[in-house]
Amino acid sequence: MWDTISNLAFGLSIALTLKNVFFCFVGCLVGTLVGVLPGVGPVATIAILLPVTLSLDPTGALIMLAGIYYGAQYGGSTTAILVNIPGEATAVVTALDGHQMARKGQAGLALGLAAIGSFFAGTVATIMIAAVAGPMTSLGLLFGPAEYFSLMIMGLIFAVVLAHGSLNKAVAMILFGVLLSTVGADMETGRERMTFGLEMLTDGIDFVVIAMGIFGFGEIFKNLADPEPRSIMRNAIGRLWPSLKELRENFPAMVRGTAIGSILGVLPGNGAILGPFASYAVEKRISDRPQDFGKGVPQAVAGPESANNAGAQTSFIPLLTLGLPPNAVMALMVGAMMIQGIVPGPQVIERSPDLFWGLVASMWIGNLMLVIINLPLIGLWVKLLQVPYRLLFPAIVAFCCIGLFSISSEPGHVMMAALFGLLGYVLYKLQFEAAPLALGFVLGRLLEEKLRQALIISDGSPLTFVTSPLSLGLLLVAAAALALAVLPSIRKSRDEVFKDA
Amino acid sequence: MSSELHTEVEPEEVPPSSPWLGRERLAGLSLVGLGLLALWASSDLPFASEFGVSSGLVPRLLSLIILGLGLLQIYFSWRDPGPSTGSWRMHTMLPVVAAVILFAITIRGYEFGPVHVPELGLLVATPLAVVVSGLAAKDSKLPELLLFAAVLTIFCVGLFRYALGLSLPVAPWLIGY
Repeated sequence: MWDTISNLAFGLSIALTLKNVFFCFVGCLVGTLVGVLPGVGPVATIAILLPVTLSLDPTGALIMLAGIYYGAQYGGSTTAILVNIPGEATAVVTALDGHQMARKGQAGLALGLAAIGSFFAGTVATIMIAAVAGPMTSLGLLFGPAEYFSLMIMGLIFAVVLAHGSLNKAVAMILFGVLLSTVGADMETGRERMTFGLEMLTDGIDFVVIAMGIFGFGEIFKNLADPEPRSIMRNAIGRLWPSLKELRENFPAMVRGTAIGSILGVLPGNGAILGPFASYAVEKRISDRPQDFGKGVPQAVAGPESANNAGAQTSFIPLLTLGLPPNAVMALMVGAMMIQGIVPGPQVIERSPDLFWGLVASMWIGNLMLVIINLPLIGLWVKLLQVPYRLLFPAIVAFCCIGLFSISSEPGHVMMAALFGLLGYVLYKLQFEAAPLALGFVLGRLLEEKLRQALIISDGSPLTFVTSPLSLGLLLVAAAALALAVLPSIRKSRDEVFKDA
Repeated sequence: MSSELHTEVEPEEVPPSSPWLGRERLAGLSLVGLGLLALWASSDLPFASEFGVSSGLVPRLLSLIILGLGLLQIYFSWRDPGPSTGSWRMHTMLPVVAAVILFAITIRGYEFGPVHVPELGLLVATPLAVVVSGLAAKDSKLPELLLFAAVLTIFCVGLFRYALGLSLPVAPWLIGY
């Protein structure tokens, strides 16, 4: 306990330097902008801004990128409430009751509750990260290749279980991602694999190319082919700050949402996305007027919004302590760390404590900043929504092209991203989820590396994965999760969580 | 997701003209195709070496499982092949694809066969990408788009080259870098 406090204080002393506060502010502002504008997600934005961080110091770079991520979560809910377009996948639930509140003239209250809920969740999640960081890293240091392999297998299985929609399709997407990661020179022998003789594939596919292709270009293709109707809210926004009574009514929902979101956020794959859905389902179940859900219940905004923000933050835990990114955004953070020469893993906290604690503490400052800068700026965000899409997407195209080119100086990579954009559109048309693919790709290379390392150590015996108790335990948990997911009754209730919302 | 969200965002679902064109069936077929392609692409790799795992094991194993999942998906879709995927409207995205290719070949110059594109830099590649991709919008207006491209180009050159100091070619034909 005392350790946690002194570590956070140390982190604050780093995060509160003028330079880092500035980066945090820029990150939050850009993130909110991205969240507000439909069609630009955090994955594409962080990918575009990755080259920008080349000229920054590691701590500042990560603080800014983290700010973009949780800023986007926040901005996404603003659009969800005001225009009924969830700017981010996690804001889908917020749109349900939030927009209904806006129609009743309570837009301000919905926005205010979302902001306070997010801030509360952010505070709790920051403390949680600080508290579990120590134990998690010491656990991570015990891991050898076999344990890491089993841990990743467990992560991928959780990602499948938590994905919504077809289980079969989610597994296929993960494996497709892993398959894509094997393209390029073999890590041991240098032999070219599945490159089709193309020179630009020799070094493998860069994750940034996939991220910008599928989440940047793919999104544009989708919007051009199936334009979404946009209706700008004309009602007055109303009073932003909830009264003490309203706060008291909604505070329990925030606490529940924070708890649900924090736990689910740590899980790989859709964890952070599942949080708001689960919170909505819980609020609906315990409410004395469940029939009103969907018609503008404040708790249905406060709970999921807290869950959303808590999950966004706790998804940093696996990355910072074990070096394993649980989703696409965290995978880009790995990229940002590698650019700076920092190998993510349990050793980070030991070797660069200023980076680790500075980043954790900056999340709390960032959340505070979001409340302070966003509520007064809501008018501005509404204006931004009126930027016509016909100008928005050419700008995104230009930014993506420049971003891609500045990372690799390779024109071929820019074209490859367009191909991945088309792939993203095909996936959307056939209702495959892109998130498991990204996760599979990210973990794929590490997965194969650890598999081969483990087998070399064990002289080729695959028994190594079950003779280590830690590894066996992880695999058993994974098997149990998979078995549960396939059981019809559990599958049904899992679908209900999504259906409810 | 709620039904009301669905009706607002997604177009109505219609049955496919043939069961093989249903969304779920097509998904299965695509996976089978992907599995076969990957199997073919990895066929020249050694499967096992004396150390146990060789470069071919993981790709080939994955290809086989994906192939299997595709067949499973086709089996699942036997009774209900899913709704029609609707019109794909691929023409709507052509300008964007063209814009990206144009950017890629003009930014640093490109050679393929007899064609030689000189290094034109950001000053040409950016407005080209903006204007060409902008034509993809149904409601695009050329004068507005040209003006927007000019403003955006100045902004991008200022931000990426001068403010952030990234070594991107600006206009080698005009100012030498």
